[in-house]
Amino acid sequence: MTTIDAVSRGLMLDSLKEYAKRRIPFDCIRELDRENEFPAEILKEMYDPGVLGVHLLLIPREHGGLGGGTVDIYRVCEALARIDLGIATSVFATFLGTDPLRVGGTEAQQRKWMRKIAEEKLLVAYGATEADAGSDLVNLRTRAEQVVKNGKLAGYKITGNKQWISNGGVADLYTILALAPGGPSWFLVERDATGFSANKHEDKHGIRLSNTAGLSLDDVYVPADQLIGEVEGQGLQQAQAVFGYTRLMVAAFGMGAGCEALETAVRYSQQRIQGGGPLSQKQGYTHKLIVPHAVALEASRAYIHAIALRLDGEEHGLQTEGAIGKYYATEAGNNAAEDAIQALGGYGYTRDFPVEKIKRDVKIACIYEGTNEIMEMTIYRGRWQEHLKSRGQYYIGMAAELDALHAQNANVGADSAALGLRALARILEDCRAQRLTRHQNVTFKLGELIAAAEVAANFCKTAAAKEYNEGVRMDRACCEAMSRVCARETAFDVASQGIKLVLGAGTGSAAELSQAVSLVEIEDRQRGVTEDKDLIAAKLNETFRPR
Amino acid sequence: MNIVVCIKQVPDTTQVKVDPQTGTLIRAGVPSILNPYDHFALETALALKEKTGAEVTVISMGPPQAKTVLRLALALGTDRGILLSDRAFAGSDTWATSYAIARAIKKIGKADLILCGMMAIDGDTAQTGPGIAQQLHLPQITFCEHVAVSGRKLTAKKLMDGGHEIVEAQLPALCTLVLPADYKPAFPSFPEIAAAQEKDLELWTAADVGADENLLGLKGSPTRVDRVYAPPQRARGTVHQGTAAELVEKLVCILKEENFIKC
Amino acid sequence: MLEISASCIGCSKCVTACPFGAIAVENKLAKVNEKCTLCGACAQVCPVSAIEIKRKEESSDLSAYKGVWIFAELSEDRKNPGGKTVRAVTHELLSCGRRLADELGEELCAVLLGNGVEKLCGEIASFGADKIYLVENEALADYNTDAAATVMVALITKHKPSIVLYPSTYIGRDVAPRVASELYVGLTADCTGLSIKEGNLLQTRPAFGGNIMADILSPNTRPQMATVRPNVMKKNEPAPGAKANIVRETVALKKDFSRVKLVERKFDDIGATENIGEAKIIISGGRGMKNKRGFEMLDELAQTLGGAVGASRAAVDLGLMPKPHQVGQSGTTVSPKLYVACGISGAVQHVVGMSSSDVIIAINKDPSAPIFNVCKFGLVGDATQILPKLTEQLRKRKTV
Repeated sequence: MTTIDAVSRGLMLDSLKEYAKRRIPFDCIRELDRENEFPAEILKEMYDPGVLGVHLLLIPREHGGLGGGTVDIYRVCEALARIDLGIATSVFATFLGTDPLRVGGTEAQQRKWMRKIAEEKLLVAYGATEADAGSDLVNLRTRAEQVVKNGKLAGYKITGNKQWISNGGVADLYTILALAPGGPSWFLVERDATGFSANKHEDKHGIRLSNTAGLSLDDVYVPADQLIGEVEGQGLQQAQAVFGYTRLMVAAFGMGAGCEALETAVRYSQQRIQGGGPLSQKQGYTHKLIVPHAVALEASRAYIHAIALRLDGEEHGLQTEGAIGKYYATEAGNNAAEDAIQALGGYGYTRDFPVEKIKRDVKIACIYEGTNEIMEMTIYRGRWQEHLKSRGQYYIGMAAELDALHAQNANVGADSAALGLRALARILEDCRAQRLTRHQNVTFKLGELIAAAEVAANFCKTAAAKEYNEGVRMDRACCEAMSRVCARETAFDVASQGIKLVLGAGTGSAAELSQAVSLVEIEDRQRGVTEDKDLIAAKLNETFRPR
Repeated sequence: MNIVVCIKQVPDTTQVKVDPQTGTLIRAGVPSILNPYDHFALETALALKEKTGAEVTVISMGPPQAKTVLRLALALGTDRGILLSDRAFAGSDTWATSYAIARAIKKIGKADLILCGMMAIDGDTAQTGPGIAQQLHLPQITFCEHVAVSGRKLTAKKLMDGGHEIVEAQLPALCTLVLPADYKPAFPSFPEIAAAQEKDLELWTAADVGADENLLGLKGSPTRVDRVYAPPQRARGTVHQGTAAELVEKLVCILKEENFIKC
Repeated sequence: MLEISASCIGCSKCVTACPFGAIAVENKLAKVNEKCTLCGACAQVCPVSAIEIKRKEESSDLSAYKGVWIFAELSEDRKNPGGKTVRAVTHELLSCGRRLADELGEELCAVLLGNGVEKLCGEIASFGADKIYLVENEALADYNTDAAATVMVALITKHKPSIVLYPSTYIGRDVAPRVASELYVGLTADCTGLSIKEGNLLQTRPAFGGNIMADILSPNTRPQMATVRPNVMKKNEPAPGAKANIVRETVALKKDFSRVKLVERKFDDIGATENIGEAKIIISGGRGMKNKRGFEMLDELAQTLGGAVGASRAAVDLGLMPKPHQVGQSGTTVSPKLYVACGISGAVQHVVGMSSSDVIIAINKDPSAPIFNVCKFGLVGDATQILPKLTEQLRKRKTV
């Protein structure tokens, strides 16, 4: 089976951009945003194989789709997020809605429903969330009762309410999570099922082009063959199995939206003259509002791409990695959008420019598919196990890899990244020895530091690679400078905040701890960061010229 | 009928900038696109294919990454794609380029109609199309807005200064195309792009087309670039601000000072 | 020299096509005689590609090439249907060619192709031509590629000029590459500057959509050929009564020599191209004029000042003005006395088409618009509010 290659992927992204430029220019999107309107016609066109056929990417080839891989789909997610995160969410809901089917559906179910989605351009919605069951699905209230006819299981009657379902009011097909006698299970429910209704479209802070609605199910009958996998109680595993993948897509949303905001700010800053020169030439502006976000977004890109390649390889799950990607990239995107408003000053605060909308939109990426606090917890849990299992050697081993990398390429800051990883290992070990993880805030903070250290380490590897991935628009000198800045600043953050965390919750000597995490050495590595940022600012101006 | 369309991958010149200090092009982050004129020539060929069942071959000369535009052409419905790629072609001016492409078209064999964009947006020369026509000894119709074929008769609507002409010629012939107003290039759908990936893309070298290496590249090009530099900048004039009424007064003063209206 | 290979089938197509009676078929084989000018018309029509022209050695002695030539482009005389007039761009080419010829100490020659056009020689001479090669033939009555290219190749081969300039117009850009390809000589497109550098023609032209300038030389081939952008070269004052040496060249072109037949010719009603290209005052609008009403405002001001209306590509793309009004890289290059840019941001593509205007006034809401970097006078404001008031004021002044 041929997979989609980089040339095809590039052409798909070009087609998507060209379609958006033509059919949904910013003025149109702004109006839909103001009106809180779902562009049903646009979505149908995007699903039309004669126009774009975006949804075919997520359907396997044997069922009439294109069998897109993780890299293909994250690149499309990123491109969609640059256009409008509401539309992106609506497309993503179909991706998400089909996931339980792809992971857990029987052969016959996949054949029937995947083909139907492909051919009939079905919008799909993923119905998991309830009022009392958000990121934590254990309190699921929606019930599926068995209906037995002639002594045989004929189907289920589903009753309950779902909340904040993307595409809730507009989908053709729903995958609904409900508690069957055998446990939580996914059911395929068609829109016209008796007893099924969607509630009003929510009035949201952002992603207002995405339809979000509650669902009411009142004794909705579904035949037994619409229980995904045809075995009860598989629902949570089926949901869990794809988290690594789906959260990576949300990471791409954060990155894409953040890049769009950042680029708008960079372009603007070259035209806006203040105090005798363009803002783009002023360090106080660029090194605060532009460069840090460019670095974090580029680090996100490197991480997302690396994990996507692993998922496209033989690896499965990667739930901790998915959580790291989602956490880091959506925070990066959200922060970039926030500062893009500041960067555009009064203009940024108006609706004439896209940045305030991006800011409202991108916030959702910090919330859905598990809030970023759930991500912190997930990351901590995953890596804490590794730390314990390896007797504290997990990050020491990773640090050794980076030292080896530094020996080959001294330009990417791998030595600093190694220092950061060693500091992290030491902080984790102190937390273990002092049992500090009984404090929830410590565990969450550890999740944050782990994410930062791992992303920075990966960024060094990416920046040192022979060839850059197709999404990178900056040149080698700039990527290396970004990698250095990221590694150095992250090492400092991990060491200093780690010390703060340990001393805040436990006991110990600040001086000893500082020495243990090599704080002075890490501080020493901060030399040259300003110069690197000067270079990054200049390269950004070169790459994103005013239109 | 066999149609050959000549296409080129170009940097999107609306995004190219020049470093005013060094006078060099800043290409960082500038996307490569299919030359819009060629895109329209391709669409013209595909429309003719629709009507007449013609077979459309698309040919491009460039570095290996230029295969992207051939893939795009295949995704849009072209039957065959050929990339002329060889170090020997590097540095070719319009003469050497016309020569190489003409050689390739000879190798393709029977070409009834050759379509080219009127020019490429990076070079802006409009010389390659007529050059190919001359090399192949074909009649040429340049600056066409529209091309129609009926049997062996070609009818074209072409621009001339101050108006347009309708002209006719017998096939084989070569036409170059201008862009219609408000041109929106067609783009392929995802499944069309995926299908194009399965199609064969032929790679031809200078030797494959029997081109004389002395007539290619810098060696074969009669023109030489002596120097490249940033366009001279005008001194920034005086900029006035104020209410609409104040600005109107200002304008009247300026028009008087510059003698466009009498005092 | 002309070589006819053994694959010749004796079909006589070349005999009919030859404008100089230089080929005859003997014993079912084409034979060429001394009248051959190497114009290439025979090779174009040979069905078996049996004719090859070898020129390489002939152009190796560069010093044998002398004189600056210009291709005199004519246009339809709209007041006198069927008649021809000399285009303004021909005056520009003559003026520019005069300067180059003087610097080289060589002759300036014009090539005038047509039928019944001898009366135009006086006008051409008045702009500085020393010599005029006049070729009159029925097949040259209206411009067509095959006839013009064939004659140019023949004349160049015969008289060996050092430089040949063509206007960068639909006609010039059609014939010049055809001739250059046949002769295997360098051709530089759409030049905006020409000078002599160490005896060679230094050709300056914008590339990459006007983002960059390039100086081009054709050091090893002669003649050095260029197409020259209209409305850029300074036009000399004509010297009435100036005389040129008229050299008549005869060619035997069949009336149907051209393989492309003209069916119909239609001129734009307004003649906008002429208006824009030759107007002294241009009031131009961009996206900032918003709608049709905005362009009516431009028209009202243009009428009051006696000028023409121009448009940016963005405005043309929005359908606010027809294409012939477009100023810029992909439209017309203009150099009026006054250019007023209203609601035009000033992308390079636009600026290259108007930056040689004498006085540029820009009106734009956005103080950071790049148009303010090229204008002499800039006004930060909404053109749709300013223009009606200005027109009103100017009209009042007129009536007073």
